[in-house]
Amino acid sequence: MDPIFDPIAIEQWATDVGIFGMMNTKWGWPIAEIIHFYGLCLLIGAVGMFDLRMMGVARGVTMKELHRLVPFGIAGYLMCATTGFLFVVTAPGQYIYNPAMQMKIMLMAIAGANMAMFYATASAGVNAAGADEAPPVRARVIGAVSLSCWLLVIVFGRLVTFFRPPEYWCLWCAPG
Amino acid sequence: MDPIFASIEQTPFSIWMREDLYAYFIALIFHSIGMALLIGGGIVVSLRAIGVAGATRFDKFRGFFPVMWVGVVMAIVSGIALLIGYPAKALTNPVFALKFTCLIGAAFLVRAMARRLFPLAEQGMALPTWGRSLGVAALVLWLSGVAAGKLLLHTYTILLVS
Repeated sequence: MDPIFDPIAIEQWATDVGIFGMMNTKWGWPIAEIIHFYGLCLLIGAVGMFDLRMMGVARGVTMKELHRLVPFGIAGYLMCATTGFLFVVTAPGQYIYNPAMQMKIMLMAIAGANMAMFYATASAGVNAAGADEAPPVRARVIGAVSLSCWLLVIVFGRLVTFFRPPEYWCLWCAPG
Repeated sequence: MDPIFASIEQTPFSIWMREDLYAYFIALIFHSIGMALLIGGGIVVSLRAIGVAGATRFDKFRGFFPVMWVGVVMAIVSGIALLIGYPAKALTNPVFALKFTCLIGAAFLVRAMARRLFPLAEQGMALPTWGRSLGVAALVLWLSGVAAGKLLLHTYTILLVS
């Protein structure tokens, strides 16, 4: 018994609002998957390449200019979050108890906190740095943490199908 | 072609790819990371060709090419392993050919940008209008390749082994 989540109620809500029906049409799930991966591509393309630049790759490209790509990364994140929500509410039992999904959410939270740290402590220095200047050490660390998080999000996203049946992995559920 | 695919599927490596608990997932993970690095870099270069982050000289984006090459190697090696696991499933699906066509096309367009547009950027010249078209075409091909890759799971019609 799960004292926190009620997968049946979540799925019922998804059915009532039409999400379950839409996702279970022939092309509903595949189209949501494609949009999810477009989001990931934009994230890695915009945020990941900015992270790499902060780590010292592609000297000559100013970080301030590359930062203009970040809105594409945010758009990618929103695409991933929206389609991810559709996946979870359509098949809550497959995701809520899945250790890969739990790791994925945790890594996204770390990436979010890391981004907040960037804007709070390193953004000004990075924007002021010249095209060929080495990024500040703090920016390098933030870039490495961010890129690692996003690549691991992909890894654990792929591992979601590895952990089945997911109910077996519920750490907070009482037996029976 | 089916007998050839069937014989590949009976090789020890193919059986191991399908039946080992971790082999297929490890290959899948490497393939995803490789594609993310390749297409992530490709999207950034394409967006710059379109005009985003226009204050940075285009040729400086060459610095992302080594990352893309790492992605290419990871994607190809893991892709071959995945293909050996299920050759009939992939090679009888026209969407697989579409995926390859899109990704190879996008890679050629990035190469064309590097050969034709980078020298102009090095001389401080503005990028021609067709350079922007090249960027748009590359972006469309990268994204089409991703879409085709995701559709593979939903469009195959022949599965000799499972």
